[in-house]
Amino acid sequence: MLDWVLVLAPYRKDAAYMTSLLLEHGIRAQAATAEDLGDRLAELPGVVVVTHEALNPAAIKVIAQFLADQPNWSEIPIVILLDRAAPARQIQSALTAAWPRSRQTFHQRPVAALELVSGIQSALLTRFRQREVRDYLERETELRLELNHRVKNILASVISIFQMTRRGATSIDGLSEDFAGRLSALSNVHAVAFDEGADEIALDQVVGATFAPYRSQERSAIQISGPAVLVSRAAGTTLALCLHELATNAIKYGALSTPEGHVAVTWDLSPAPDPVLTMHWAETGGPPVVEPTRVGYGTRYMRSALTGLFGSRPTFAFAPEGLRFMAQAPLSRLTQTPRSS
Amino acid sequence: MTANRPLRIFYLEDNPLIVFHVEAMIEDLGHIFAGSLASFSDLKASIDGIEMDAALVDIDLADGATGPAAAAWLYERGIVSLFISGQEHIAAEHAAVSLGTISKPIALDEFAAKMELLQIAIRSKS
Repeated sequence: MLDWVLVLAPYRKDAAYMTSLLLEHGIRAQAATAEDLGDRLAELPGVVVVTHEALNPAAIKVIAQFLADQPNWSEIPIVILLDRAAPARQIQSALTAAWPRSRQTFHQRPVAALELVSGIQSALLTRFRQREVRDYLERETELRLELNHRVKNILASVISIFQMTRRGATSIDGLSEDFAGRLSALSNVHAVAFDEGADEIALDQVVGATFAPYRSQERSAIQISGPAVLVSRAAGTTLALCLHELATNAIKYGALSTPEGHVAVTWDLSPAPDPVLTMHWAETGGPPVVEPTRVGYGTRYMRSALTGLFGSRPTFAFAPEGLRFMAQAPLSRLTQTPRSS
Repeated sequence: MTANRPLRIFYLEDNPLIVFHVEAMIEDLGHIFAGSLASFSDLKASIDGIEMDAALVDIDLADGATGPAAAAWLYERGIVSLFISGQEHIAAEHAAVSLGTISKPIALDEFAAKMELLQIAIRSKS
């Protein structure tokens, strides 16, 4: 055990005897004097051993002050060795009152070496559990900060989606439909990322979750194919939101607005090393494509987001037979998973 | 805004949705969006190709919590920056290298006010 014991035993060689006894049993121990007691306690020992002779008002006060200043997880074990003739019960109740938030165990001298060592070992174990609680509390604080940070980021994303959707909206119904659709896309990809329980998610899961709302019809108008690829959660989210824009556009104006129309979503990886991911979206069988006169949310978002994520601008081709879209990036750009501090 | 020269504002941020929104806010206020990158390492690699008067910087980027280091790096190059972050307590620790913090989620009023602050700071520098 890495923890250590502070021994306050002023009578003759008691302290030296006890520290060497404990050392023989693999327990680190250090002696304190009345003068340096406060400083030694500040080094946060695992257990304190106090002998009868040390129990003077000044030392009791120093220990009481240390106990009052303890962090909330701490109830330090104190092993107290009393003289056989001493009024044990009286001392016990006085110390219980003077030293709250400590785990006191009493022994009557002479104490057999085995009894003392095992008593201190058991006190160290108590202390070990307390330190585990401390680690747990620290971890919980960290998690709460991390959660707060993530919630803020999600809210910031939602506000951005809302503000940008509002800009392009021409009616309340249009606004609510577009906003709800974009939030669902965000929510669906979040669910996938959470289910996978990892920092990376499979691209086909991202694509599948994004198109799930549109695939309930008998015919499968959307064909999805590509090799197994893992991307970071952030990249997966951006891709899902882009695919959502393409899908809603296809439903409103493109191939998915007619029963005969089809969409193929495909991706491919170039050979290693440094594989490059290429994603294609190709619509066929829809009404003749007319290049829009106004650049809407979808196109602007995809340009902005994919240029950032992929490092190059995506291309849109308003081919007469159907909209085509292509984006390409080194896979390494899509797999970076930052670890926030 | 009126008599002021528009600023070229660069944005270091790894959330594309927020970049998208901030880009529009920058342009609404009459400034010029000078581009965006997702990590400090990308910024270092492409600084020569970016023309900016000021930068907006997130704390957590695609290469970790490198925003404060990026702000300090820009500061050394004479470029003023503002943090945009929900981790205001971390941003506050790096006040020496930045003009301030815009809280996340971003409120338009605060954003506009801080952009004016940027403009005043840059005008008084030149």
